[in-house]
Amino acid sequence: MEGIFHNLGIGFVECFRLQDITLWGMTFSHVPFNIIMCLIGVLLGTLIGVLPGIGPVATIAMLLPVTFNLSPVAALIMLAGIYYGAQYGGSTTAILVNLPGESSSVVTCLDGYQMARQGRAGPALATAALGSFFAGCFSTLIVAMFAPPLAEVALKFGPAEYFSLMVLGLVSAVVLAHGSLVKAISMVILGLLLGLVGTDVNSGVLRFAFGISELADGIGFVTVAMGMFGICEIIGNLEQKEKREIFTSKVSHLYPTKEDWKRIWAPVLRGTLLGSALGILPGGGALLASFGAYTLEKKVSKYAHEFGKGAIEGVAAPESANNAGAQTSFIPLLTLGIPSNAVMALMIGAMMIQGIAPGPQVMTERPQLFWGMIASMWIGNLMLVVLNLPMIGMWIKLLTVPYRILYPSILLFMAVGVFSISNQPFDCFLMALFGLLGYVCAKLGCEPAPLILGFILGPLMEENLRRAMLLSRGDPFVFVSPSKPISLGFLIAAAILLVIIAFPALKKKREEAFAAEDT
Amino acid sequence: MRRLAAFLALTAAIPLAAAQSWPSRPLRLVIPYAAGGPVDVSGRLLAAKLQESLGQPVVPENKPGAGGNIGVDQVAKSAPDGYTLVMSAIATLAINPSLYGSLPYDPLKDLRHVTLLVQVPNVLIVRNDLPAKNVKELIALAKERPGKLDFGSGSTGSTGHLAGEMFKMMTGTYMVHIPYKGSAPAIADMMAGRIDLMFDNLASALPSIKAEKLRALATTTRKRSSFLPDLPTLDEAGLKGFDMTTWWGVSVAAKTPQPIVDRLSAEILKAMDAPDMKERLHNMGSDAPSVRTPDQFAAFAAAELKTYTELVRRSGAKAE
Repeated sequence: MEGIFHNLGIGFVECFRLQDITLWGMTFSHVPFNIIMCLIGVLLGTLIGVLPGIGPVATIAMLLPVTFNLSPVAALIMLAGIYYGAQYGGSTTAILVNLPGESSSVVTCLDGYQMARQGRAGPALATAALGSFFAGCFSTLIVAMFAPPLAEVALKFGPAEYFSLMVLGLVSAVVLAHGSLVKAISMVILGLLLGLVGTDVNSGVLRFAFGISELADGIGFVTVAMGMFGICEIIGNLEQKEKREIFTSKVSHLYPTKEDWKRIWAPVLRGTLLGSALGILPGGGALLASFGAYTLEKKVSKYAHEFGKGAIEGVAAPESANNAGAQTSFIPLLTLGIPSNAVMALMIGAMMIQGIAPGPQVMTERPQLFWGMIASMWIGNLMLVVLNLPMIGMWIKLLTVPYRILYPSILLFMAVGVFSISNQPFDCFLMALFGLLGYVCAKLGCEPAPLILGFILGPLMEENLRRAMLLSRGDPFVFVSPSKPISLGFLIAAAILLVIIAFPALKKKREEAFAAEDT
Repeated sequence: MRRLAAFLALTAAIPLAAAQSWPSRPLRLVIPYAAGGPVDVSGRLLAAKLQESLGQPVVPENKPGAGGNIGVDQVAKSAPDGYTLVMSAIATLAINPSLYGSLPYDPLKDLRHVTLLVQVPNVLIVRNDLPAKNVKELIALAKERPGKLDFGSGSTGSTGHLAGEMFKMMTGTYMVHIPYKGSAPAIADMMAGRIDLMFDNLASALPSIKAEKLRALATTTRKRSSFLPDLPTLDEAGLKGFDMTTWWGVSVAAKTPQPIVDRLSAEILKAMDAPDMKERLHNMGSDAPSVRTPDQFAAFAAAELKTYTELVRRSGAKAE
């Protein structure tokens, strides 16, 4: 324990160290440069999180050359700030205009946007910021205290374990929807099919690309999500000619009420724990964090019937989970040198170019770097919450902008965002197409969330299934063998969940519950 | 008819005039991969350097898709005026033509190769608890357990995969190929003991080798790498002539005027030789490439294309 305090001491000292910096020929003496870089990082992160489509990967990649002139500590602190800052910003557009900029904020749309429609955008935004803050602080503590042993746990996850985890995730996708079970399953399957488009990992064969080379790498997540949520919402709004809702007329308060506080603390805690656990897993774990937290909440909450209609728990849990996951996804990077996602791969790139080989030796050979980065995460999270809470008022004002001005701007930002990913106009057309598909689905009463989850999980599931089969030379029992207790456990959990969903008596009750709600 | 002749004469004159004033407007550097990979990072480094020396903005532009083919194709079909450059690589110039069956461009006829920027060796790494301590023991082990060893790679048709196929062919062994999406998850699975060996590029394997989480047995290049000077090459270990590197460089459209190609090549070489750039490329695992001039690069690309066409054909790795 003492060791931790000593190490964190090193970290905080490094963060606040006064340095002499020469920039553009001017020398500034005694500036806490590292902390300034942290602030710049989280500011940028918030900004790109708010802008749809422009994600942390592209931003960090573009800033990499700039960071080469900084010290390694300052560079990594800034890049990390961009990453977790984006997790804060991502919820803003999801709540205000039903536009998920990152995969993690898809679930935030479900209840966050409904809250905004009820004039409760303020409490939703505040809940997202505070939940993220708590989750960020807590999970950073986990990184500081348990990083090496947790990295060993991450290594226990092989293809079989991932496959079974994805199965569990997919079964819970059905729970995401609150309407018809058949429709939810159909949407999951449609999502799975869309996920198959592109090059097959094993054989390299192109599937469902119809000779269009832009489809060779598959359909982009952002393209689907922005079409199905953002564009679909705009079409839906424009359809109601005169009666477009004015969210702000109903605004009663900006911050959560006492009642809200009572309802959010438990979901925040559960979301944080689940997010921290899933974030450790490289290869799709973090993706599942917010979906998993939402599903869990919907199952355990006594306000389950409000989910999808503006339940504050539906914002608190996934937002905490995704920020916790963002923080703990540093564990494989810092302890094993294995990047768990594209952003972490960039961080490795940044370290290598600075001449640092990422891996377990960083902790002992460069304690200032390692602990400085950890300490900066607390400081950065604090900065984010201080920055974000006062901004809520400003965001709410945004909703008073007349819709005839607001929606073309949203469309423009979406188009720019989608285009910026691979600089292909094709993606913008594809987004519009998904907007139409989303509209048709909405008319049919099919919800987009299960489709998105199927779309994300489908390719991961297939990849891991086939890899597990290759490794076992085609033995299907590899998933349930006693030598793989983790995989077996997930499959059992998935089976139980399936029974709960499908069991006739329970199903009837479920329908009754929804019938009661609808009246 | 006379008008046409005049027109032709005029268009023939334009490149010369253009070459003298080149560059008079911003350049585009197409990076045919998503932001963040090693090609992207080195491309951005180069763009910053060229911008200084050419006095015109050099804008990196990511155009990912179809294993890099989309971006390279756009440059192959761009105006041959020296304003559109592309980061071309072993995949798009040497492997994809045979891997994909048909490509919209010809890697030798539609492109003029300017300068090779980076050449990174692949290393043969094995999991720590694999009994084989050197290449000879590994071959013996693979012969003793045919079809039992697993070798991972970052993707089907990657240099890591093809190096593995080459190894199998030269040693007459059989091992099962397990493709991943990128080499990081493959390394993780190897640390956990789920796969046995892998041919990975030096830059991504080095941290794990240094941390002794994995064991390196050999490099795939003819010369030893300055990063691991004690590590033998496969050639030394008995696989005579084994020489594979991962490389990338800069190309332009085929009909780009020679003066522009020469100037561009000179500027890129100057940038590469600058101490800070040299150090950063070195940190990415690259010892300065021996191939330098446009003609050397063109000859090198042609030779590589021949090697990999044969290798892809014999290994049966092919995308439709």
